[in-house]
Amino acid sequence: MRKLTVSLLLIVLLALFGVASAQDVVTLEFWGGWTGPDGAIMQKLVDQYNAENPGVHVNLTVQQWSPLFDAFIAAASAGTSPDIMAMHPQETAMFINLGLIDPVEDIVAASEVFQKDAYVQKAWDLQFYDGTMYALPFDLGVHGLFYNVDMFEEAGIEAAPTNAEEFLEAARLLTVDANGLHPGDEGFDPANIVRYAINMHTNHHAFYQWYALYNQLGGQLFSEDGMSCAMDLDKAAQAWKWLQDLVYVHYAAPQGQTDYARDFISGRTAMLIDGPWQIPAMIAAEADGLNWATAPYPTIFDQPAVWGSGHDFTFPTYADPEKRDEAIAFIEWLGANSFDWLESGQLPIRNDIIESEEFAELKGRQSFVDMLPNQVLLPNIPKFSEIFASNAPTPMMVMGQRIILENADVATEVENACNLITAILSVP
Amino acid sequence: MRITPNAAHRGDPAVALATKMRSRASFTPYLFILPYLVFFVLFRLGPSLAGLGISFTNWQAVRPPQYIAFANFSAMGRDPLFSAAFSNTVFFVVITVPALIILSLALALFLNQSRRGRTLGRVAVFMPFVIMSTVVGVLWTWILDKDFGLMNAYLNVFGIQDVPWLVSEGTAMYGVILTTVWWTVGYNMVLFLAGLQDIPTELYEAARIDGARSWGVFRFVTLPMLAPTTFLVLMLTVINSFQVFDQTYVMTGGGPGTSTLTLVQYIYTTSFQFQKFGYGSAIALILFGLLVLVAFFQIRAHRRGIEGVE
Repeated sequence: MRKLTVSLLLIVLLALFGVASAQDVVTLEFWGGWTGPDGAIMQKLVDQYNAENPGVHVNLTVQQWSPLFDAFIAAASAGTSPDIMAMHPQETAMFINLGLIDPVEDIVAASEVFQKDAYVQKAWDLQFYDGTMYALPFDLGVHGLFYNVDMFEEAGIEAAPTNAEEFLEAARLLTVDANGLHPGDEGFDPANIVRYAINMHTNHHAFYQWYALYNQLGGQLFSEDGMSCAMDLDKAAQAWKWLQDLVYVHYAAPQGQTDYARDFISGRTAMLIDGPWQIPAMIAAEADGLNWATAPYPTIFDQPAVWGSGHDFTFPTYADPEKRDEAIAFIEWLGANSFDWLESGQLPIRNDIIESEEFAELKGRQSFVDMLPNQVLLPNIPKFSEIFASNAPTPMMVMGQRIILENADVATEVENACNLITAILSVP
Repeated sequence: MRITPNAAHRGDPAVALATKMRSRASFTPYLFILPYLVFFVLFRLGPSLAGLGISFTNWQAVRPPQYIAFANFSAMGRDPLFSAAFSNTVFFVVITVPALIILSLALALFLNQSRRGRTLGRVAVFMPFVIMSTVVGVLWTWILDKDFGLMNAYLNVFGIQDVPWLVSEGTAMYGVILTTVWWTVGYNMVLFLAGLQDIPTELYEAARIDGARSWGVFRFVTLPMLAPTTFLVLMLTVINSFQVFDQTYVMTGGGPGTSTLTLVQYIYTTSFQFQKFGYGSAIALILFGLLVLVAFFQIRAHRRGIEGVE
């Protein structure tokens, strides 16, 4: 009997204590898809915030973006949501259309951190959908050109290529077979290439690159009403042909590549097209003798354009409204302290950081930042997933893989993709 | 022994107890399955029935569903991704089912003989099955890597050129099949081993005395006596193969192109990634119908087989 009394008392005490501590500390659920090394950096920032703010506990949940969004939708259908949801600017329309995220105009009006003039204009403009601001910007990223400085010197290439002509010449000099011959040389053996000039994506980054090149040709994807595909099929095919030829005609890039950064670091390729998030890996590889530098994404066609994306923060509609103020305070703190996030390789979007001396000292970033004005993002549309999702058989993935992996006819694939896109968009 | 209370024994305390026990006995078994039953109803039966209803609607999960009758089912006929997923799944089943049954039976026969290292062999074959499917997927993505994979390194030793495995439409499904066979063959083997050990040794002795050779013994003793096990293995393998998902999702994401897209991945993709839960449920219903149909014919064939033996 006595035991029972003690136990009951304990339970009551614990319950009281639990309620008391729950009242004291506000727990914020914060979801993001940083599954790479960037996740550890975000966690570090969160830990710092938690330590500095005893009244708030931010709980960072990280899993890959796609399953994270699935969980976000599933949670919302059950009437609940995280307090802060990170995403990419081109993905907000999906969630706005489903009614899952709130506008941030009131937040911005009251914020000292999130002021339009403090940001790169592009980063700010991307947060609007149908004239309303739905997200707060955090960073941007674009494709750029990493190159092996030693290999460039050895090949006698003085500067990173900036256009198609320079690029093809550099590609020819950098590609070497087992006998030391280059493509076009008498007796060159494509079956025994020991070093390729550049990587070729076989995943979603293939169509990201295509999208940049298609934009360099001034291409448009959708009709004005957004109900059908409006691709210029010739230009779309021309952009793909450039990428495809690097593999199958110029032998400048390996066929069926799977790990682009690894191949660049190990010296299998002399150049790498990828995002600034590869910078930490490059810095780490310096210990093994990698001598690297970066350059802007080359302008192969008429006008500069480079694929890009970024991260932003949204406030879900089904989150607990009582915690909104704390959630805003945390995001303002992150925004103001975003310099520490640069360790992840992502690009700053606050003017004070870009202009700062500390930023100028960071290696490899300036080429990427210089390209921000030419950044093109995939269109922010409600049916984004059905057309652009990277881990599903979307028209873009199928088109890219058939062209790059199977050497399929570009005109046929472009037309097929366009028909599929129209089929998807025409359904209300 | 069964105690039957009758008029003569009425009032007998032993009989009264037995009666009480019997009435309680009819309730007790349900108590034992209750924990499972609760979960079954809440997480299997309930959602399945809901899925049946959802398949006749257009539902985005966060908005109320709209009834659209058979529109989801007629949409399948015009959907190239559905037909790709359907034919890929059937192809996967047609290759993996015979492979998994013949190979596991062969392994079971081999490892049923008393020879040194038998236990080690059984463990080695069964071991992969205890690994989680996602881990298997990641592991084999590395093994089958075109440029640095272990598989191509071995093939090179025999003078075979690099196989593109997961980065070519022509070979990706075979990579997935290879992975699946490696992963699950041990499970079937264990079932066959159990079946083999149930065959009375007298039958083998009798067959030998009658002068049967190894093939004769296998054909007329082992195989017929193993029929119930074979039937079970066949059923399980067919059902599992039709539901292939984890391997392709982790290893290829359904690509390159649509070459490894399977029905279950397409159900997942349409429902959760594209928020078309009605269409996803309709495809799930088709898959369910397909499995019921296959099971029906298998059971019928099995019954005929038994009648034939008798």
